[in-house]
Amino acid sequence: MDVVEIISHHILDHDWGVTLGGFRLPITTHTVTLFAVSLVLLLGLYWISLGRQSRAGRLLTTLTEEYVAFIRDGMVLPNMGEEGRRFLPYFCTLFLFVLCCALVGLIPNMKTATANISVTAALALCSGGLILYCGLKFHGFVGFLKGFVPSGTPGWLVPLLFPLEVLSLIIKVCVLAIRLFANMLSGHMVLICLLLIIFIVGQMHIAAGAGAFLPAMALELFMTCLELLVAFLQAYVFTLLTSIFAGSVIHTH
Amino acid sequence: MALGPFSKQDHLQITTLGLEFAVSEILCVWAGYWMDKKLGSFPWGIIVGAVAGFGLGFYQILRAAKQMARENANLQKAEKKDGRR
Repeated sequence: MDVVEIISHHILDHDWGVTLGGFRLPITTHTVTLFAVSLVLLLGLYWISLGRQSRAGRLLTTLTEEYVAFIRDGMVLPNMGEEGRRFLPYFCTLFLFVLCCALVGLIPNMKTATANISVTAALALCSGGLILYCGLKFHGFVGFLKGFVPSGTPGWLVPLLFPLEVLSLIIKVCVLAIRLFANMLSGHMVLICLLLIIFIVGQMHIAAGAGAFLPAMALELFMTCLELLVAFLQAYVFTLLTSIFAGSVIHTH
Repeated sequence: MALGPFSKQDHLQITTLGLEFAVSEILCVWAGYWMDKKLGSFPWGIIVGAVAGFGLGFYQILRAAKQMARENANLQKAEKKDGRR
């Protein structure tokens, strides 16, 4: 049994793209998952926005209202102030998208798109763009650049501190991408490794494999529950950190 | 749950600091390696990158600590002011 092959098959992206007129159209499991999640969310939220008076419609409308209030009162307003209200749709979208991508990965035969560094990098770039926009919108170009240097810094330290502060902001955005990617990837790796324990031990002796079945499955169940928690936690952390960084750019002092 | 003198946001930023330190080190070493390959100055680029990455990571930790201390002092001042009223 090739353990490395099994783990990499479970973790890595698979490309079955087509070449049309010399132009490569990459269709991968992760892109399919991304589009599927986007489509389901778009259609689902559109259906909720119609405000159906059925029992399910009323329930979903109330849930969505509670969700928006949670993002607004728990993340956006405390960290960004009233200025953040106009960015509420972005944060609501971000949280729901990251959460759904992580939850979809727990369904058998589906992949977690956020376990791909390109996806998390794109999400972090969007957040970086928002942070940049906030800085330019509320302080102007010169004011935004001035905000990088802490107030009361001696003049001779400015050429040293300015690049450090700019690099710090870039690293913060990189960290957003790496944290989400690492958490999603490691969780799935642990799940497949726990499952493989049964087969690896079973190769030594069939009875040992049978004996390892129950503990491995118990651990698997525990880790799946943990993954469920991590899905919510990482969506929360990603959204909250974006709002904190954007808030720190808006309220520089 | 008591969070001590730190807010929820502070706790989240503290957990981020370790990763920020690691990423600054990795990015600077990678930039040094890239410079070495371009200029053929091996191993000086990597050494300078490693030192710069360490400095940058340390600066981020110091700045975050200073900012949290300042916010905490402001909060205590505001609480004292409210208490007097």
